[in-house]
Amino acid sequence: MDVPRTVATALEDQPVAGTRCLEAGAGAGNATAGLLANGAARVYAVTDDRDHARTTRRRVGGGNGGGDDGDRLAVLEADLRAVPLPDESVEFVTAHGLCNVLDPASLSAVAEELSRVAAPGARLVVDDYDPVPDGAAIGELFAVENAASELARGRPALTFYPSSFLRRFFAGHGWEFERERTLLEPVPWTESHVAAHADLAAETAAEHPGEAGDALAATARRLEGEIGSESVGRMYSLAFRLPG
Amino acid sequence: METRPLGGTGHDSSVMTFGAIALNWLEQEGANQLVEHVLDYGVNHFDVAPTYGDAELKLGPKLRQHREEIFLGCKTQERTYEGAWRKLDRSLNRLGVDTIDLYQVHGLEYDEELDAITGDDGALAAFREAKEQGLIDHIGLTSHGQPDLILDALERIDDLESVMFPLNPVVAGKDDDEYDYEAVLARADERDVGTLGIKAFAGGSWPPTDELPEADRPFANWYRPVTAPDEIRERFDFAAAQGLTSVVSAGDPKLVTMILEAAADYDGMDEAAQRSLMERVRHDDSPVPEQLHH
Ligand SMILES: NC(=O)c1ccc[n+]([C@@H]2O[C@H](COP(=O)([O-])OP(=O)(O)OC[C@H]3O[C@@H](n4cnc5c(N)ncnc54)[C@H](OP(=O)(O)O)[C@@H]3O)[C@@H](O)[C@H]2O)c1
Ligand SMILES: C[S@@+](CC[C@H](N)C(=O)[O-])C[C@H]1O[C@@H](n2cnc3c(N)ncnc32)[C@H](O)[C@@H]1O
Repeated sequence: MDVPRTVATALEDQPVAGTRCLEAGAGAGNATAGLLANGAARVYAVTDDRDHARTTRRRVGGGNGGGDDGDRLAVLEADLRAVPLPDESVEFVTAHGLCNVLDPASLSAVAEELSRVAAPGARLVVDDYDPVPDGAAIGELFAVENAASELARGRPALTFYPSSFLRRFFAGHGWEFERERTLLEPVPWTESHVAAHADLAAETAAEHPGEAGDALAATARRLEGEIGSESVGRMYSLAFRLPG
Repeated sequence: METRPLGGTGHDSSVMTFGAIALNWLEQEGANQLVEHVLDYGVNHFDVAPTYGDAELKLGPKLRQHREEIFLGCKTQERTYEGAWRKLDRSLNRLGVDTIDLYQVHGLEYDEELDAITGDDGALAAFREAKEQGLIDHIGLTSHGQPDLILDALERIDDLESVMFPLNPVVAGKDDDEYDYEAVLARADERDVGTLGIKAFAGGSWPPTDELPEADRPFANWYRPVTAPDEIRERFDFAAAQGLTSVVSAGDPKLVTMILEAAADYDGMDEAAQRSLMERVRHDDSPVPEQLHH
């Protein structure tokens, strides 16, 4: 598969080659592909979503193209709040588009774990989105998605942490800040992104039966049609290093 | 309009090259107007070929009137010495001029063709004679073929002064060697060879002809172009920001003014915005790169 330019840009100044890596939140397998392409000795790609685990194995581990990638890749289905790896066992950690799907409580728990499994001198790359600017149409859809999630599960689906926040937050977990760069500006929320968020919002709303859930699902559908696609906001990359 | 040195030719090309195939779709009067319009914007590099219908003939009158303001690129798909001489004579006649500034091997696709043009009886032997006789000034090559082939051509043809090849955010987002035109750009720069970009405005392929017959396509391009002014601007900016000498305008005259506007306003594109565009088309999964090899 092609390594997205965002991932390539986030990793291009990083010493990935030869390291044991943890890709926290494997998702579509994009960062996993980038780590392998940059010569990682081994990548543990962790996700709690079975479909994402399968997607990552298929897109990145599967034979076509990089024949040996399968040997260097382990996709683990696990909760990042309890990473199934020993202390100080990885030298490189990526969280590419992870933090925005973690509410503050989960973010705290995950950060503890990332610090635990990272060896002294390890690197951490955190790529995420700044809060969506006021007035952006996509912001309404995220609001509906969050409202549905709050009603159904008691927590938000998405939290967009400003880069300055995550910078200080990970510093608080012992990571020395090294650099920040802008990966995307504006961020292209394509029709397929918008549709995927609308689907999620509607599904989550359906978990909360009754008027409010129905109204949120309907609003999500309406917004999907109205928004189409929108390019807005910023995606950033932060790099850190553990002392030692 | 910004100009950039076309490799070692000594000519500074406008950052937009007028793809004169657009004239083929116009009557003579409209063609004359379009040439004036393009010149008004400061475009000084024109590209034409004998395979573009009547484009050479329709370019003729205004080309002759403004000969000094126009750096003229023409091409031939002939691969033999004799064929190339015949086509060059024909193009000079049809255009009604004494010299062509840049004469290009058109649409090189296969290794055998590279062998053919570089052979004793090959097209380049004719190009070189024509150059000695002052009928052409510079030698170029165009290809939508594999980047490797263009790299080989850069190695093997010492007097090559420009290359024309596809470059757009869809192609740039692909990692396979098969799409690595960025390597061509880099190599050409090293060798001080000018670079001309095509397919900058390709949006995707047309629906199959049973869904949309060719006669019902709204644009003359053989791919579906991007057509909104903002998209055209982005695509232009992207191509120009890759470092090409010049970006060739799309083949449909309806798009030319938008491209001129974009070219006239061009003032760079920052890298985050370039990635943003690549990311967007990556999700569109545009089939254009597959279609390049036709
Ligand atoms: N390119 C082809 O092989 C091809 C195939 C079928 C039909 N056509 C005709 O071309 C028209 C549209 O052209 P367009 O809009 O596709 O052009 P374009 O990509 O918008 O590019 C504009 C200019 O770049 C030139 N260019 C593109 N590919 C090239 C190549 N292989 N080698 C050298 N120059 C190249 C074009 O000529 P080129 O057209 O030579 O590419 C044209 O002069 C169509 O309406 C169709 O009638 C062309
Ligand atoms: C948006 S995706 C990240 C994209 C991915 N890094 C890539 O490069 O393609 C977020 C991923 O984090 C996973 N995730 C979220 N919370 C998690 C948790 N507590 N434990 C494990 N995985 C989690 C999601 O299932 C999803 O696979």
